[in-house]
Amino acid sequence: MKFCAVKQYFDDENNNNITSGASTTMIPLPNVESHPLAILITYCKKHLKIKANNADNKKETEKEMEQYEQELLKKVMPQELTELILAANYLNFKEALDFFCRAVASAIQNKSIEFVRKFFGLESDFELGEEEKLREEFAWSFEGVDED
Amino acid sequence: MRRMDNRGDFIQRLGLDISINILNLLDDPSDLVRACAVSRSWSQFVIENSLCKQLCLKLFPELSSVTHVIEVENLIEPVKISAGGSPEWERLKRDNRVYAFFARGLTPLIKKDCIIEPISASSTDNYPDESIQNTLEPEDRIGFRASYWSSKGESDPNVPEILTYKLVAQLCVVTEIQVQPFQAYFQFGFPIYSSKAVRFRLGYSRYPLELVDGMLIHHRWSDNDFIWMYTSPEFPVAQENELQKFKLPEAVLCIGGILQVELLGRVQKQEMDGLYYICVSHVQVVGRPLSSPFDIDTLDSSGKFTLKYNPETQLPEGEADTPSRLRTFTTRLLQLLGNGPVGNNELDEEPPVL
Repeated sequence: MKFCAVKQYFDDENNNNITSGASTTMIPLPNVESHPLAILITYCKKHLKIKANNADNKKETEKEMEQYEQELLKKVMPQELTELILAANYLNFKEALDFFCRAVASAIQNKSIEFVRKFFGLESDFELGEEEKLREEFAWSFEGVDED
Repeated sequence: MRRMDNRGDFIQRLGLDISINILNLLDDPSDLVRACAVSRSWSQFVIENSLCKQLCLKLFPELSSVTHVIEVENLIEPVKISAGGSPEWERLKRDNRVYAFFARGLTPLIKKDCIIEPISASSTDNYPDESIQNTLEPEDRIGFRASYWSSKGESDPNVPEILTYKLVAQLCVVTEIQVQPFQAYFQFGFPIYSSKAVRFRLGYSRYPLELVDGMLIHHRWSDNDFIWMYTSPEFPVAQENELQKFKLPEAVLCIGGILQVELLGRVQKQEMDGLYYICVSHVQVVGRPLSSPFDIDTLDSSGKFTLKYNPETQLPEGEADTPSRLRTFTTRLLQLLGNGPVGNNELDEEPPVL
């Protein structure tokens, strides 16, 4: 079920017997900005289209969806991922939420801590020597990391 | 219009549930550990929410029966509370370290041969031909020579026997032990010299084991040399020439790497002398050892240990696995020359019983 929050709104409206119809109902989404919303709508439409095209073939659907997702990720900036996740969560759009969470996890896999800080726009708030101590204690986790 | 705040902390913005979901998607413990080094708040987040423990249990579900050894019995990386420190936080930090080490250090695939060498047998007939060394060999014969361990004969069938082994690592999660009794294919009637039942103990050596080239230096072993942390229930043994599998009721963390196989009750008399014997063709331990270069350090004889990582001691690929044929051959040669492991018996000069 996509955009569950929106559907909930429709259901509530119908239950209140408002006959104005879908075309004139305004649904407030105060926590979602237009840019991530546009991406989510496109994602949703694409997903439904791929599903319709490959009605009986689940594997084909998955494969095409993966290809589309890879293409999408190339166009999305890292900083936008946080917004997308928040939007998908607010809209109760589970598939998109899972996808963007996986995207974030993949992005930081096997990367150095400097890369991760840059990715999220964070700065180290450790005291002098704290980070060094961690690096020493867990020396094995700092080997074989991808080049930045 | 709300300004997009790129500098807000990722974890705080996304909230607890989503952040945990994302970090839980990291399958490599190294990634989680590096997350701890990104910032203080990330470190706190990973430790407070026991993410390394969750990953460890995801990778190795059988470890759920082992967590009390770490967290309750305080045996690995025992927590020292400094004055003014928070005990709860110190315990969480310790758990984080132990589970991270385990997630990375335990072998990813279950190993079927966790014994690296024998330590002693309570008695041995016809040493060295029927020595405990033969139980490491899965076949019951090599070429024309039979390969099995035999106890000395007893007229009382209730006299037990004990086989003691060293495991391939000082820390090993043990799930199952397999024993194959020996069928004397060269005797009339092909008797099978199984025991009535079997029981297992796991523990550690009271004093640091002396090794040369990675192999034990042997001396007259006594039961006092070892401390047993775990005793299994008794399992009935079938009088069958089969590799019988004894699955432990729960996975057990063997800290110290010593296994004892207790063979209880004799069932088979040898026709020639009318005495009861127990003979074992093969013993095998199934589990997950801590793989080099991860290892443990004994703190003292109380059974508490710390974890360590020594990249210099990393063995080349393959050597850390099954005892090599060369090593087994060398041990046997030393035994024949009278320098190998000796049980509580003397060298027996009689020829093998046929």
